[in-house]
Amino acid sequence: MSNQAIAALDGVRMPSRRRLLPYVLMTPAVLVTLLIVFLPMIEALVTSLYDFVLSRPRATQFVGFDNYVRLMQDEVFWISLGHTAIWIGLTVPLQMALGLVAAILLNRTFFWRGLARALVIIPWALPSVVIALMWRWIYDSNTGVLNDLLLRLSIIQTAVPWLADPDRALYAIVVTLVWQGFPFFMVMILAGLQGIPKSHYEAASIDGASSWKQFIHITLPGLAGVLITAALLRIIWVANSIDVIYVMTGGGPGYATHTLPLYAFVKARQNLDFGYGSAIAVVFTLLLAGVVALYLARTRKEADR
Amino acid sequence: MKKIMATFGMAAALMLTGAANAQETVHFWYHFDNPENPMSELVEKFEKANPGIKIDAENVPWNSYYDSLYTNLVGGNAPDAAMVKLFAQPRLVDMEALEPLDDRIAAWAGKDDLIDNILEINAGPDGKQYYLPVQYVVLYLYYRTDLFEQAGLTPPKTCEEFLHAAKTLTIDENGDGTPDIYGFGFRGGRGGHDHWGTFVLGHGAKFEKGGLTTPELIKANQWLVDLFREHKVFPPSAPNDGFQEIIGAFKAGKTAMTIHHIGSANDIAQALGDKVSAVPVPQCGEKPWTLYGDESLAIFSSSKVKDAAWKWISFLAEAENNVLFNQATGQLTVTKSGSENWTLHDKRFVDATVASMPFAALLPQTQETSDFVNTVWPTTMQRALTGRISAERMMQEIEALYAQ
Repeated sequence: MSNQAIAALDGVRMPSRRRLLPYVLMTPAVLVTLLIVFLPMIEALVTSLYDFVLSRPRATQFVGFDNYVRLMQDEVFWISLGHTAIWIGLTVPLQMALGLVAAILLNRTFFWRGLARALVIIPWALPSVVIALMWRWIYDSNTGVLNDLLLRLSIIQTAVPWLADPDRALYAIVVTLVWQGFPFFMVMILAGLQGIPKSHYEAASIDGASSWKQFIHITLPGLAGVLITAALLRIIWVANSIDVIYVMTGGGPGYATHTLPLYAFVKARQNLDFGYGSAIAVVFTLLLAGVVALYLARTRKEADR
Repeated sequence: MKKIMATFGMAAALMLTGAANAQETVHFWYHFDNPENPMSELVEKFEKANPGIKIDAENVPWNSYYDSLYTNLVGGNAPDAAMVKLFAQPRLVDMEALEPLDDRIAAWAGKDDLIDNILEINAGPDGKQYYLPVQYVVLYLYYRTDLFEQAGLTPPKTCEEFLHAAKTLTIDENGDGTPDIYGFGFRGGRGGHDHWGTFVLGHGAKFEKGGLTTPELIKANQWLVDLFREHKVFPPSAPNDGFQEIIGAFKAGKTAMTIHHIGSANDIAQALGDKVSAVPVPQCGEKPWTLYGDESLAIFSSSKVKDAAWKWISFLAEAENNVLFNQATGQLTVTKSGSENWTLHDKRFVDATVASMPFAALLPQTQETSDFVNTVWPTTMQRALTGRISAERMMQEIEALYAQ
């Protein structure tokens, strides 16, 4: 083979190697993702097509979409779906509102700002189980501090069983989760606030804009990107979180605090009915897929920018 | 330097002898909620007597004990032996997870020291013996002697007397419109089926089609729901209350009666002194009903060290070891020799237990009982107590589980 021919071959090989390199580098990550994310997902999908109760392993059989048909006729599924909507619909906006207020306060200069910022982050840093246990005692109707305070302030006349009353339990847990999650919004918004150029505010005040107008026309538009991304992320997290509910009420009284992921967990882990539990999880994943798609579209847009 | 060499030498020698003896490790699961845990003491004693066996005892939290056990069994991660309750036996037998112990028990010296009838009570659904009993209790009624005396009442023997006492002892001391003491601390959360059983199951209940929805049973369940909704003799938190809450409220003087077993007697007596005593539960139907509370030890069929595991569990069921074991759980020993000199509880609580034994009952030995205990009973009871479903619907749902 002549030298020229070798040079020509090299010329062909080089670019193709370069083209392959990114894929080679990505392979481990893709493999790991496939293995630990997609494989279990596919397994859940397959399991949901079986009548698969762990305690009766020999009775396992393929039932097609039976679990899904049963699900559509299951009263508890619809109750849980309704609660999930209330759960997300209240928790995320309230967390955002509280986070926004806290961030704006902490964006002002005062001498113990550093300390205040560190303190506010505590609820976010505590483990969920600790938070749930703590709030369970706060809400306790016999010895809880909340009832005691409200009674002393004469706001209520008799102790309220916050977690034992089906009309209140879900909202009581929402309050707990708002408390736990608002620092996340606060941190994100605080970062966003610092990204808004000071000159905009200076220009606005020269034009005579009030603080409120500055908030509406400068702060909020400046934060829009952060708020939307944080909200989408948080919806996904809040929707999936069961630890606080599970520890505080276990889904009770009755089905009063059942959400879909909790129902899936109870079915699979307590009743060992993995087929049905998987079906609930699959349906819930499909419902959440909309939010996930929005989030992915947004991150792609930001990456393109 | 010499010292270090010597240490290394010794370590190497130990490892060699260890390998030569082919040391076996028995993985054991148990659940103690008492902070004074004598398990390490028992393990030490056992390991000294059986040098070839190492015990790896893990205290698994009670709330997820069975969830974890079942999933670990299916996942191939099961311990070699564990503490188990009767309600789980049918499911474990169905899963083929248990090792029959008949031959081992027959050849075991401690067999004759077990109290009468206890092996029969713990026999498996197929007649084989899978469970080696390690402790037992019977649920009875705790009541506040001082409050009963003040009100001129005697401990209730029937449900009518119970209702009268509960109403009388629901007391608003400071006149703010909210009772400061409630007549009865009802357990509406998981595990409360033993309270419910006393008031409802004595009316001729059978866990089968048509056996739970008779007019008498529905009426009895309605009567129970009315205690909370009409007569308001339970604390308002009753639908969610579990063990911690009912015992906590009773100890704090917030309730005048509750149902539990001798396991909590020392704790309660410490808080209330002689202002507390116990009697068998009231009779509500044709006959009284109370739950026989059991705990046994079992070996799993997946174990590779069954002989070593048997040595360990039989060790725990032998006289003085069993007494030490029960010191931690606060329950009663299964050995005759241990019962003779029983000093771990006040006599009045032991008497109430013994007096309850003749009518102590078990839940049905079927697969469904696990679901009944873990999900169906708590959710239907909570829904009935909070007015979401009727007492009749609750009975129908429980029957539907067993009639499948």
